[in-house]
Amino acid sequence: MSNNIYLPHIAVIKDIKEETGDIKTFTLAFKDRKLKKSFSFRPGQFMMVSVFQAGEVPISISSSPTQPGNLQLSIKKAGSLTGKIHGHKVGDEIGLRGPYGRSFPVERLIGKNLLFVAGGIGLAPLRSLINYALDKRAEFGRVTILHGARTPSDIPFRHELSRWPKERDVKVLVTVDRPDSKWRGNVGPVTTLWNKADLSGQDTLAIICGPPVMISFVVMDLLKMGFSEDDIISTLERHMKCGVGKCGHCSIGHQLTCVDGPVFTYREMKELPTDL
Amino acid sequence: MRRASGKGEMMTDKLILYKEHLNSFLRKITKGFELIAPVRNTYGDTLFEVISSVDDVRIDLTNRPILSPKRFFMPQVETLFAYRYDKSGYTFKDAADSTPRVIFGLRSCDTRGILFYDLIFQEGLKDKYYLDRRKDTILINLGCNQPGENCFCKSAQSGPFLTYGYDIQLTDLGDRFFVEIGRPRGRELLAGWSYFFRPATQTDIDAQYEVVLESESKFRHRLDFDAAIEKLINQEVDPAVWEELGNRCQNCGGCAYVCPTCYCFNIFDSPGSGKEGERLRTWDACTFAGFSRLAGGYNPRQDKAQRIKRRFYHKLFYDKQKYNIPSCVGCGRCADICFGRIDMLSFIRLISEQRERTHESAHRRLGELLLEAGLISRKDLDSAIEKQAATGKPLGAQLIEMGMADKEAIARALGYQLKIPGTTETIED
Ligand SMILES: Cc1cc2nc3c(=O)[nH]c(=O)nc-3n(C[C@H](O)[C@H](O)[C@H](O)COP(=O)(O)OP(=O)(O)OC[C@H]3O[C@@H](n4cnc5c(N)ncnc54)[C@H](O)[C@@H]3O)c2cc1C
Ligand code: SF4
Ligand code: SF4
Ligand code: FES
Repeated sequence: MSNNIYLPHIAVIKDIKEETGDIKTFTLAFKDRKLKKSFSFRPGQFMMVSVFQAGEVPISISSSPTQPGNLQLSIKKAGSLTGKIHGHKVGDEIGLRGPYGRSFPVERLIGKNLLFVAGGIGLAPLRSLINYALDKRAEFGRVTILHGARTPSDIPFRHELSRWPKERDVKVLVTVDRPDSKWRGNVGPVTTLWNKADLSGQDTLAIICGPPVMISFVVMDLLKMGFSEDDIISTLERHMKCGVGKCGHCSIGHQLTCVDGPVFTYREMKELPTDL
Repeated sequence: MRRASGKGEMMTDKLILYKEHLNSFLRKITKGFELIAPVRNTYGDTLFEVISSVDDVRIDLTNRPILSPKRFFMPQVETLFAYRYDKSGYTFKDAADSTPRVIFGLRSCDTRGILFYDLIFQEGLKDKYYLDRRKDTILINLGCNQPGENCFCKSAQSGPFLTYGYDIQLTDLGDRFFVEIGRPRGRELLAGWSYFFRPATQTDIDAQYEVVLESESKFRHRLDFDAAIEKLINQEVDPAVWEELGNRCQNCGGCAYVCPTCYCFNIFDSPGSGKEGERLRTWDACTFAGFSRLAGGYNPRQDKAQRIKRRFYHKLFYDKQKYNIPSCVGCGRCADICFGRIDMLSFIRLISEQRERTHESAHRRLGELLLEAGLISRKDLDSAIEKQAATGKPLGAQLIEMGMADKEAIARALGYQLKIPGTTETIED
């Protein structure tokens, strides 16, 4: 189409699934046929999403590249633009550019046990990798998925959270901060699930996504359990405007989250300054 | 009539242009290019301007323009594209700008600023808007005979004369300009009008060398960039310095706007009437509070002190780490504009002079100073120090939070203590 990195491509909303009161999954298809065919991405990458007259925000791809023609974004209503997109209907058009950012190190994960730890909407980018791993089941070891939500009604991807454990060697554990009367599951932060998850055995890689506080607590525990700094992988969220390493907004130290991240190993993360 | 080689002859890399031919030469340029040059306006300010008629303006080559020429490569506000939507969907209109331009009379610092922009906008995915403008722009640099009041390009190793990066470089030799051809585009530009130039003689070459040496000896400020960067890397800057600079910063963004290397920008949509709109980009500054703020209000750089710290780390250390040069070219413009003296010049001088002192003793001293100045009572100070031990907050912040002293008083006391220029006079009054 164009060599202009800032120009979005038009995508049509094919389907909208209400995950929770404030999270919706949008299934999208590029209008341009060639692009629709050639578009490819890796789990962990994000798109810059345009809602016209509102602007652009970064959103991770929540679907897996193993399911082609099925580009999904799971968006939480967090402010003006995400609020506006929640008002969109099937058939409406939005703009997309990307995929951007460093993905999860898929090759490094092959042959390993995978431990996923997600907080809230953080499950969206992990869902991409989870479905990827399950579609290529033979290439990976045991899969453990821990998810923490605010309340039972804040749990997204319910359908999949109940489908995943039916696969071979997959364990899913969910916890909530505040239960309702019907909740039978675990209550408390995601770190209260450690004893219910079987994390024994070598060769497990942990992949985390969630709010900064959650990440810190999870990493602290994993280190205590003996995970090496390279085997803890997480994503960082920063304000992003260009998504391509030009605008300077997403900087942490000398790194730019949009091109050097958003995926970092804990060893890399630790090298980044906390307030600069 | 002095005349050099005729048309078609090979040009050497060193030429002479007599000043009496300058305007004719510039007039020729306006025939094929948009000409941008420093002009002295009626307010007495020198600014880069687009010149349609050379004879109608006062081209000023003696003063450094008060703003850098970066707006000709990335305008302060620019439309990236316009869009419309109707029944058949969205359509875009991509804004493009590739007017062939000549920027005449750039200072070395400004040319180096553009070279820094090149690094940013060409790295990784290419920025079409920048590159379209850049590829059709010819840079005619003017070496500096007379460094200005706040200039320190020599310390920043970006001037006063350039050894690379220009298309053409001029040196003022009194009645004539010494002309050096750098990049091939410079040669192409001159080739058409070779009758304005004659080859430089050994005398001219010697004269130019003398001007360079003379200019280098005239700098008021000699700053040790490497030592300053070393201090940043080793975290040797007293935390009270950041606190003080943060208190003095007014979030105006002036420092970033005047800086030839600051490139951070914002992107946003401007809705039109009906079903259309534009996507714009504007200059941005890391000293602005909202620069890093996320949805929901979380801001990894909440305090002004953090943002100022970030600014200096970015320009001096991170860019050096990434591109092997700090992103300060020593133009001194931030020193001209910042009324809080939170500029590069003052900053490097401050941390170079700063004697090693511990965090704690710095705070003690602040307390004593405020006491001496009668701004707080001994009792207040003691309880603030006690509270500080528990919260770990800097004493200044603790005092302000407890309502025991106002920000300005603390800022002044701190400035005095840290020997920040401009505060010593005011503490006694
Ligand atoms: C790499 C990455 C992946 C993300 N993936 C997802 C996802 O899969 N699902 C999801 O729901 N959310 C995701 N987010 C967060 C999402 O981008 C913000 O919630 C969203 O930008 C808020 O926009 P708003 O206009 O509704 O909010 P407002 O609060 O109205 O924000 C105003 C403006 O500030 C900017 N802004 C605010 N917060 C952010 C932010 N976090 N990142 C970048 N710019 C911001 C935007 O330009 C926005 O237009 C992701 C963020 C990043 C950085
Ligand atoms: S440092 Fe100075 S020029 Fe820069 S934003 Fe602060 S007050 Fe303005
Ligand atoms: S930091 Fe200040 S002195 Fe350095 S290039 Fe920018 S404006 Fe000029
Ligand atoms: S979002 Fe612009 S540099 Fe990362």
